Amino acid sequence: MKHFTKLATAVALGTVLGTAAIAQELYTPNLAYRTGPFAATGIPLMNGQADYMTLLNERDGGIGGARIDFEECETGYSTEKGVECYEKTKGQAIVTQPWSTGITLQVLPKTNVDQIPILAPGYGFSPMADGKVFQWAFNMPAGYWDAADMIVQYLESEGSLEGKKIAFLHLDHPFGKEPLPVMEMHAENKGFELLPIPVGLKEMQNQSAQWLQIRRERPDYVVMWGWGAMNAGAITEAVKTKYPMDQFVGVWWAGHDADLKLVGEDGKGYKSISWSFPNMDAPVMQEIKERVIDAGLSQTNEEEMQGVFYGRGLVMSMILAEAIKNAQENFDTAEIDATQLRWGLENINLTEERIAELGMEGMVPPFSTSCANHTGHSGGWMLEWDGTKFVKASDLLTANVEGYSDLIAEASAEYASSNAPWEMNEECSATN
Amino acid sequence: MLYRTAGQFKSSYVADQALFPVRQDAILLTIILIFGWVIFPMTASEFTFQTLLIPILIYALAAMGLNILTGFAGQLSLGTGAFMGVGAYACYKMVTLFPWMNPIIAILLSGVFSAGIGVVFGIPSLRIKGFYLAIATLAAQFFLVWLFEKWAWLYNYNASGAIQVPNLEMFGVFVSGPQAASVTEYYIVLFVVTLLTLLCINLTRGNLGRTWKATRDMDIAAELIGINLMKSKLTAFAVSSYVVGVAGALYVFMWKGAAEPNVFDIPLSFQVLFIAIIGGLGSIMGNYLGAILIVGLPVVLNVVAGTKVFEISAPSAILLVALIAAATFLFWVARNLWGVGAALGFGVVTLVYGYAQLQGFRIDSALIEHINVMIVGALIIFFLIIEPHGLNQLWRLIREKLIIWPFPH
Repeated sequence: MKHFTKLATAVALGTVLGTAAIAQELYTPNLAYRTGPFAATGIPLMNGQADYMTLLNERDGGIGGARIDFEECETGYSTEKGVECYEKTKGQAIVTQPWSTGITLQVLPKTNVDQIPILAPGYGFSPMADGKVFQWAFNMPAGYWDAADMIVQYLESEGSLEGKKIAFLHLDHPFGKEPLPVMEMHAENKGFELLPIPVGLKEMQNQSAQWLQIRRERPDYVVMWGWGAMNAGAITEAVKTKYPMDQFVGVWWAGHDADLKLVGEDGKGYKSISWSFPNMDAPVMQEIKERVIDAGLSQTNEEEMQGVFYGRGLVMSMILAEAIKNAQENFDTAEIDATQLRWGLENINLTEERIAELGMEGMVPPFSTSCANHTGHSGGWMLEWDGTKFVKASDLLTANVEGYSDLIAEASAEYASSNAPWEMNEECSATN
Repeated sequence: MLYRTAGQFKSSYVADQALFPVRQDAILLTIILIFGWVIFPMTASEFTFQTLLIPILIYALAAMGLNILTGFAGQLSLGTGAFMGVGAYACYKMVTLFPWMNPIIAILLSGVFSAGIGVVFGIPSLRIKGFYLAIATLAAQFFLVWLFEKWAWLYNYNASGAIQVPNLEMFGVFVSGPQAASVTEYYIVLFVVTLLTLLCINLTRGNLGRTWKATRDMDIAAELIGINLMKSKLTAFAVSSYVVGVAGALYVFMWKGAAEPNVFDIPLSFQVLFIAIIGGLGSIMGNYLGAILIVGLPVVLNVVAGTKVFEISAPSAILLVALIAAATFLFWVARNLWGVGAALGFGVVTLVYGYAQLQGFRIDSALIEHINVMIVGALIIFFLIIEPHGLNQLWRLIREKLIIWPFPH
């Protein structure tokens, strides 16, 4: 009887859930992770995302008259919880923000069936740039392959890479392996030696073996594709082994202020490529401070607010808000659905003027998307740690996408064929 | 009274040795099967399929595999996650190498590979026991996950290093992959789980099961009465790894849809081990009860926390109250005071929470997660204190008491 009772309870609860209230708002859930091993990096991003939407709700009453229900569903970065959240929210959601690479991998093949756009700003699968194949997935403003290209460009600006040795320190996980094809391509073309050094998930916090290898090999540069505890581990280990910090470059997820505050002055010269920058003088920061933080509607604090990740969270929500606004204007309705939002995401045109109008000067480079280009390839800046904070160390770098457009086409075609039948956007006539 | 066995006479050996000699047991099982095969698939939502029904069945199957090894044959193993991985990767290689293969056959065959690997890693059990064997299986865990990462052939040289389930068809219906409907996946999981449960029940009741139990209880004595320990231990490893491997294939093909190597890492092994321990070592039904508690309960709690207590519809409220009352009654029968205390505590917490909601109290999603972990942890301790032998033993106690109810002894 007990067995039966428990199963029946589950079903009863399932039906209760089915009758839950339907929101009269635009529901844009976020699969957040404020708990678990990656919480330290997740919290500022989640706060930034939530605060921007709160600002829109407070200041403008939402977007185009519809309030934004930016509910968080906690995943703790676990794939199982992520799938649970996806199933729970997909009924009413107009967008999915999956956050982890594992969750993205699982949700991506379902997009064609469920027809809900995935918004993965700056993460996920690089070939998602091909909007004709990945109709429902977006990773603007820039993908990992863009990041790899920009890092190589930046290193090249310091002198030819011919004959040099670049160590590629990466998480041994789909996320860390993502830029390898582009790095390998550049290694071949530019004549440098690429030395991939994987860091297993279990060794993130103790990378002595990896750094011993780096010390032995004496690479000219170390490029890091790290996330969560791996970054702090690598940076402290680099300081300990006295690796020259100005030869150490990370991806945008390896540019978290708190990781570098651990080493402070010793971390001076460390660089991280980024498509966002926390411009404290931008008008939007002031408004958020007044209307959201001082009004007690946020979980953030003064110190976190100045960090790169908080600013990045704001930019992410701004991109989503722009897409919603586009869709509302085009379809002439405040309550847009998922398909209409997809149109909005495909028609983002963020010019310098528009960014200034939003009060975000210098916080994100201008970019635009189309039905064929779901990434935008905005480019980014090289940020450098000056001992207390990140500052811009370069002008805007833009990725040379032509260089690897063949790779994108190849990878997306392969994805489509291994997931056959895979529906593509045949109507799209744009070329880029 | 409710479970009266008086008057059920057995007049032949066959009747006496039937799977369910007590009529009420058979009736109960029929009701559960009707729920599983007819009522759940007809009523469940996509969410219920994907977060409760399918994962509970798959985890229960994995725990059943482990239970054969640890609970019946007494060989402690910490490599369950990796053996699930072997099943999943074997199934992936088979369906990509031979696309014409029937997916169910592929899933059932994939267990053969994990059985082979399981036997290889089971060889040390002939020499070492207990914690030492656990360390040896831990080596399997680390080695296999490392292999899944490094041997690119296993994941068809994918750039991401993860395996992704293709859309598989059977008789014109998608049974696996993103195009498959949840209800189809559920039926396949249910079919395989039912089949293997039937197999396991009969194996553990038969000759093989008796040799396993003898090995578990005292291996020297077992050897003295003529049991071949090598055969007994290695068959336990083989059967257990087979079931675990099939569970692994279902785990990826019927539920997750994609998996990277670290999915099969040690946390998965622990989770399955906890299900087996909390459900009850040396039992078949316990695996289901354990899976419901460990896999289902957190999901249910999350839903409950998000539901407004005073706004649920009248029929569901009545159903819920009835179910809770029934559970409390059974618990009271088995454990008098504990039962009353648990029911009272549950009622008070619900009412306080409902009242707080009316006052505009909201918990954010991260806090719910923290509270959830605490509640599940507390419940695990609670159940282990009141019944150290697992939920299965608790049910057996309830059943015993129901047979003589309302008399206390």
